[in-house]
Amino acid sequence: MDAPLKLWLVIGAVGALNYLSRLSFIALFARRTIPPWLLRALRYVPAAMLTALIVPMIVAPSLQPAEQVHADLRVLAALVAGAVAFTSSSTLKTLIAGMGTLWLLQLLLPRIA
Amino acid sequence: MSRTISLVDFRVGFVDMLPACVGLVPFGLVTGIGAAGAGANWAGALGMSAIIFSGAAQIIAAQLFAVGAPVAVIILTCFVAGLRFLMYSAAMAPYLQSVPARWQRSVAFLLTDQVFAAAIRRFDIADDAHAGVSQALGGGLALYLSWQCTNMAGFAAGASIPASWSLEFAVPLCFVALLAPGLRSTPSLLAAVVAGAAVLALKGLPMKLNLIAAGLIGIVAGTVAEIVRERWTRR
Repeated sequence: MDAPLKLWLVIGAVGALNYLSRLSFIALFARRTIPPWLLRALRYVPAAMLTALIVPMIVAPSLQPAEQVHADLRVLAALVAGAVAFTSSSTLKTLIAGMGTLWLLQLLLPRIA
Repeated sequence: MSRTISLVDFRVGFVDMLPACVGLVPFGLVTGIGAAGAGANWAGALGMSAIIFSGAAQIIAAQLFAVGAPVAVIILTCFVAGLRFLMYSAAMAPYLQSVPARWQRSVAFLLTDQVFAAAIRRFDIADDAHAGVSQALGGGLALYLSWQCTNMAGFAAGASIPASWSLEFAVPLCFVALLAPGLRSTPSLLAAVVAGAAVLALKGLPMKLNLIAAGLIGIVAGTVAEIVRERWTRR
């Protein structure tokens, strides 16, 4: 299979599955009531699912062992960003705090070590 | 239920989403860079952002495509990573029961992490389906347009952005901005901590199945914590 065809196959299939996932319960439950236990569980979807997505990107972004120290810097920068996000609820401030901390640490680290 | 959307609320939703759009600029750039790195042409890159319209799925697809993974594996991995949309969909469903089907389909197409977070916040304040849907569509359109622009800008910039900038770190930061403000109760905090520990503990699972497994474990932890807390305070 040549590359462009393969890419468009991926785009079509992933796009369709994504859309069906997003539509699923909106269409399915449109004429039903959701059981209370499910509603209760769904309140914890964002906290659990977003954390599951974030943590691997920060802690283990497919790096070589030599770059482990950069992963530690990321954890520190992410904690600073998390504190800013918690108090400000601002995406922009969170990004500035997180990227700023990471760049500062990357700049300072070679001079300390 | 009115058959037309409220333009006032549509505009409110559009404007309210603009800060999040600005915040997602680096995410969009990173995703576009990923498409360029996978060897896509401009039409392929635009197809990914316009049709898939999910940063996480686009990045996973581009990474797997670049290493030559089979089509079926790419599709399945993206589907698993996108299972959270099932849960977003379920959480949105009770608020959308009374709206016309074509609005349901439109909201569903635009139901990304940011649109979901904004819509749930909106519906928590007031369960007004007509205003809420209008705002969700406005916010979704703002996000969709800016996503196409930033993706194409990232694709055009491609590999000319130095790796030392660590721009890919902006991706988890965008999710942090979405997550942290919601962690104001002990059960929510516990759900997050348990999910974070589980995703690392289950790293050995194939096809990023650890994402959805950890998410489910975290949801159970939060739910159990809430039930325990209720029993405790009742005594």
